[in-house]
Amino acid sequence: MIERKIKKGRSLWQDGLRRLWRRKLVMVCFAVIVLYFLLTGFIYSAELFGWKVGPTQWQESVGKSYEPPGRENIFGTDIFGQSVLRKMLYGTKTSITVALCASLISLLIGVPLGAIAGYFRGFVDEIIVWVYSTLSSIPYILLILAFAVVLHDKSLFGHKLTGITTVYLAIGLTSWVGICRLIRGEVMKHKEREYVLAAKSYGCSNSRIIFKHLLPNVFHLVIIDFSLRFVSFIHAEVILSFLGLGEAERPSWGAMINDARIELSRGVWWQMAAATIAIFLISLALNIFGDALRDSLDPKLRVQ
Amino acid sequence: MYLPPGIKNLSQKEFALKLSSVVFTAALLVIAGCEGAPSGEDANEAVIYAVMPSKIQGFDPGYTSGIYSAQVASEIFECLYQYHYLKRPYKLIPQLAEGMPEVSRDNLTYTIRIKKGIYFADDKCFADGKGRELKASDFVFAWKRIANIKYLSPNWWIFEHKILGLDEFREYTKSCKGQFDVDYSLGIEGLETPDDYTIVIRLKKPWPQIMYLLAFPPTAPIAKEAVDYYGKDIIRHPVGTGPFKLNVWNRGSYIELVKNPNFREEYYPSEGEEGDRENGFLADAGKRLPLVDKISWLIIEEEQPMWLQFLRGKLDASAIPKDSFGNAISPSRELTSDMKERNIRLVKIHDPDTYFIGFNMEDPVLGNNKPLRQAISCGYNRAGETELFWNNAWDVAYGFIPPMFEAYNPKIKEIGQRYDPEKANQLLKQAEKIYGGKLPKLRLTIGATDTQSRQLGQYNKRCLEEIGLEIELEFMDWPIFMEKLNTKSCQIFSVGWMADYPDTETFLQVFYSKNASPGPNHYNYSSKKFDEIYEKAVVMPNSPERTELYRQAEQTVLEDCPAVCALHRVRYILCHDWLGNYKGHVFPYGVWKYRKVDVTKRAAYKELLKKG
Repeated sequence: MIERKIKKGRSLWQDGLRRLWRRKLVMVCFAVIVLYFLLTGFIYSAELFGWKVGPTQWQESVGKSYEPPGRENIFGTDIFGQSVLRKMLYGTKTSITVALCASLISLLIGVPLGAIAGYFRGFVDEIIVWVYSTLSSIPYILLILAFAVVLHDKSLFGHKLTGITTVYLAIGLTSWVGICRLIRGEVMKHKEREYVLAAKSYGCSNSRIIFKHLLPNVFHLVIIDFSLRFVSFIHAEVILSFLGLGEAERPSWGAMINDARIELSRGVWWQMAAATIAIFLISLALNIFGDALRDSLDPKLRVQ
Repeated sequence: MYLPPGIKNLSQKEFALKLSSVVFTAALLVIAGCEGAPSGEDANEAVIYAVMPSKIQGFDPGYTSGIYSAQVASEIFECLYQYHYLKRPYKLIPQLAEGMPEVSRDNLTYTIRIKKGIYFADDKCFADGKGRELKASDFVFAWKRIANIKYLSPNWWIFEHKILGLDEFREYTKSCKGQFDVDYSLGIEGLETPDDYTIVIRLKKPWPQIMYLLAFPPTAPIAKEAVDYYGKDIIRHPVGTGPFKLNVWNRGSYIELVKNPNFREEYYPSEGEEGDRENGFLADAGKRLPLVDKISWLIIEEEQPMWLQFLRGKLDASAIPKDSFGNAISPSRELTSDMKERNIRLVKIHDPDTYFIGFNMEDPVLGNNKPLRQAISCGYNRAGETELFWNNAWDVAYGFIPPMFEAYNPKIKEIGQRYDPEKANQLLKQAEKIYGGKLPKLRLTIGATDTQSRQLGQYNKRCLEEIGLEIELEFMDWPIFMEKLNTKSCQIFSVGWMADYPDTETFLQVFYSKNASPGPNHYNYSSKKFDEIYEKAVVMPNSPERTELYRQAEQTVLEDCPAVCALHRVRYILCHDWLGNYKGHVFPYGVWKYRKVDVTKRAAYKELLKKG
């Protein structure tokens, strides 16, 4: 008897990762992203344990006011003689924290709402669609500004909201519409598929069908959306800080650009340059990586 | 009046932030608009192009609260008195009044005669379109109008608790439906007009500062016909007696005033202070005012465009933006050769203001801890602030009375507040003993969110952290900040105070215990000793004894330290050589009538620019 080895099929995820691994540029971008996250983690732990290293010592004066970039200070100094490089590195923490928290908030709101709307349809659907249509009819930045102004200096559960918390709450609470709409549509499609019908005929509860059967099957969309949205959240944080609504005490890229605005006319370009480079690198990496992720995970785009 | 940190540059009010892109676009539109806006340039017409660094609220003197609105209103309306344009120290001279008032012995009754034959500008609110003669009752009407609570004038503080019967009139207006239902014909004991050219003012208690307030634009006379005719629209239809009339007002971009043909005969002064003759300020002595046909104010909120317009010869005078300061002013505080080649003149204006870092004396940590407050005062590097933020141009404050005041103490440098980090450390040890342990984190609140204020806040924080305090920063918009101050909910805050008139009383009132928040005493400072001196001095006419009392009062405050006196602002204004008679004035009300332009010089400059 010939033993026939049945080649084990690869799952969507395994397949996707294998494809990604093959593209070197994508892996470089991935490394950049990981680096930003590691830096953020490092700054958090440094602050927690009180390590006195580079970025957490951004307040220290390392030279005179507005020293141009040189051997000692790669990116020069700002008005107080603080190292711009340290500020730039510290700004990573601000940006990544905001983007991560805002993404999580928007996913936590958007994904369940979208799934519920798509699965139950009817009255529930109408309400959810009405809410997000209303939200999305207001210009995005204005909405964030309104939330940021309202949340500014308010207390939530006895905890005072400071700059950065306000920013990610404002962004998170206003930007769940996209993912909600996406999931709703996808769930509507999947609802009539055999596996869902089978689960139904077995008598599974609605919540089990949504969370055990439907969501895992549309989750790759969440990942793709997450990676692409992450960039826009970083930008949103920069814009809010630039407008003076974000982090006021600690460095952030938006605040650096805001400072640079009046400094530019006297020829102080290095703060602007440092912040721009930092934003550019992470945006580029996330964009390329996000696109690649979609290419490899989206079944329709899977061409060898 | 209080100054938001945003106006630290006052005439160069910096970047108004917020929806900055919107503002920026607006500024661009302004520049684009300017090219065509000034209506058809007539070569023989003398037009001054000035800059207004902020939008103004309107032209109703009773309703103005900003410095800029008051300035524009003062060119259209006139008061009983005015400051002499050239003499320093600032001296009052009659404007609409015939002479200085007759004051009764008890200093309670002022009898003022007004000039005859003064006419309002022609306006369709009058029966035949011709301006009628000014009467004493026009003043009384204007003041009652400020007292009218339904009119919501921000200038009520001028008359509050001062004139017999006026407070009762305000009470009466509370029962009226709206601002136009008030019966202004009700007589008031303290404001009488025995005939059309005489006003008799009766006071509740002596109030020597009244003279300065009679020169303050909100107290200008108003024609009742105009108010009846225009109603709420009066803010855009000013009808005054002054040298100019409003021609065009484009809220966001442009204000144009033209000569008022009805303006009475007034002449350029023939005396000034020492040096005025050499500087050419007396060349026009005896000439009839105003000296120009038109004033055109371009509203430019951003300082960089303002500066560029100035260099292009489109503005006659401008403040210097912080970042172009080095191009215009040399390290020796003089003009650079580039500016001199352009025949530009530098005018330094020492403003009558003081910037404070204030403490809320009702705060449990700060209020009972004098060494802590003194430590903060010793720990604040004032010279560093002017170096980093104000191009070393501002003066370090040792006390809160600015140098131009009579009561300025010549010995203040030795006895006033001063930067002394070593002393700060000693004081801080005492402070910790009083507090009983390590001091908690202190909160510093700043009433602006723009870049410069944020950096300034960070500078304050760094200074105080250097002496070992922990500081938390808080930024908010000006109205929210004011509300927080009024409800006494700030701990440490940054605030400026600008004199409304050249009497030290204007500075002392902010430390008087009865003026505690929501009054102007936001420090909620309360000292028996100070109050006694203040109450005694405030009813005294000017005399060496009063000056001595003022100094004692200042010393009391400096010792108790409810606020750190940081800086006095000094403005550097540049003006082109074709703008004549431009002398800096810190109470710049009705000053443009003295200024003139040389059109040919302006044209020559523009020619020169074209050639490159």
